[in-house]
Amino acid sequence: MNAPTDRDLILRAKRGDAEAYSEIVTRHQTGVFNVCYRILHNRNDAEDLTQETFMRAYNRLNTFDIEREFAPWIKRVAANLCLNHIESQKVTLELDDERDEDKSANPSQQVEVKERSEQIRQALSSLPANYRLVVELRHYQEMSYDEIANELKIPLSDVKSHLFRARKLLAEKLYAPD
Amino acid sequence: MHLTDEQLNEYLDNETNEREQIELHLHSCNECNARFSDLQNLFLELDSLPDLQLTRDLSTRFATKGQLTLQLPHWLTLTVFAQAALALIALIISIPFITTYIPQIDVASLTSPLFEIQSLWNTWLDSLSTLQLPTIPELPIPVLEMSSLLLALAGIFVIWIFGNGLLLRNQIR
Ligand SMILES: [Zn+2]
Repeated sequence: MNAPTDRDLILRAKRGDAEAYSEIVTRHQTGVFNVCYRILHNRNDAEDLTQETFMRAYNRLNTFDIEREFAPWIKRVAANLCLNHIESQKVTLELDDERDEDKSANPSQQVEVKERSEQIRQALSSLPANYRLVVELRHYQEMSYDEIANELKIPLSDVKSHLFRARKLLAEKLYAPD
Repeated sequence: MHLTDEQLNEYLDNETNEREQIELHLHSCNECNARFSDLQNLFLELDSLPDLQLTRDLSTRFATKGQLTLQLPHWLTLTVFAQAALALIALIISIPFITTYIPQIDVASLTSPLFEIQSLWNTWLDSLSTLQLPTIPELPIPVLEMSSLLLALAGIFVIWIFGNGLLLRNQIR
């Protein structure tokens, strides 16, 4: 017996089948969580926003085109929620930055101890939130410049400058000789 | 002229239409080629970032139907309050109306138990309209025709059914 496709499960979920939707959550929660984490860099917030994403998505299932892939759609919903979250938190974030950053150890120790992926995450977390968003949409959601501009409602020139500057900052963090 | 950062970025993002010129330069210029490799390396590192795992399984929260009620549009949820308000208005309007019309019905043809119930009902309505709602008699009740009242009540009834149908829709499925 074949496992049901996302399409089957979503059709069932649209008819109110909670179990089918729960299976959809099982399949996509890690992907969505990682979107949220890459943007927010706070585990608690990322888990809350992941849950929120699936709630919102359920309520908007009728706007989802069943002929398309579910993963890109739900990740876009997640990125949008994170964007709203960042905007609502802007003031508090500036005052009290509680991103998951290990500030206790000194930098040279951190580099030795941490895995490469941790270094990359750390470099990502050091970026301004709007740069992180653009990196997320370009690298992890594989959107074009135009699509990102539409999604974030910013000019194309801003998409490019945010993205290129973000990469420059990341390269400085990751490849700079100490 | 060396390639700009913008050109290199756009090339790797597949967002340029000068691919051939850029490639031509990259083949002939070591400096730009080194910058290109660094950027390409960053792309690879970002793209191969492994997924983190959740500390809790969120799917269990969605497994039970109670957690998942389809949200109605905002204006629809307002019908609940509209219903309550209309029902209250209907009640206030109908109390004096009933108390004036019901005694006119020929009760003789009814069986005695029904008559007793009705007279109890009338007494209750009388006391309710006179004692509990002393301001009612000042409303322009006599102006209202039987037909317009019935129409109003029918309208409220339709809204009631419509609203309940929408609200119950999710529980039924
Ligand atoms: Zn060159």
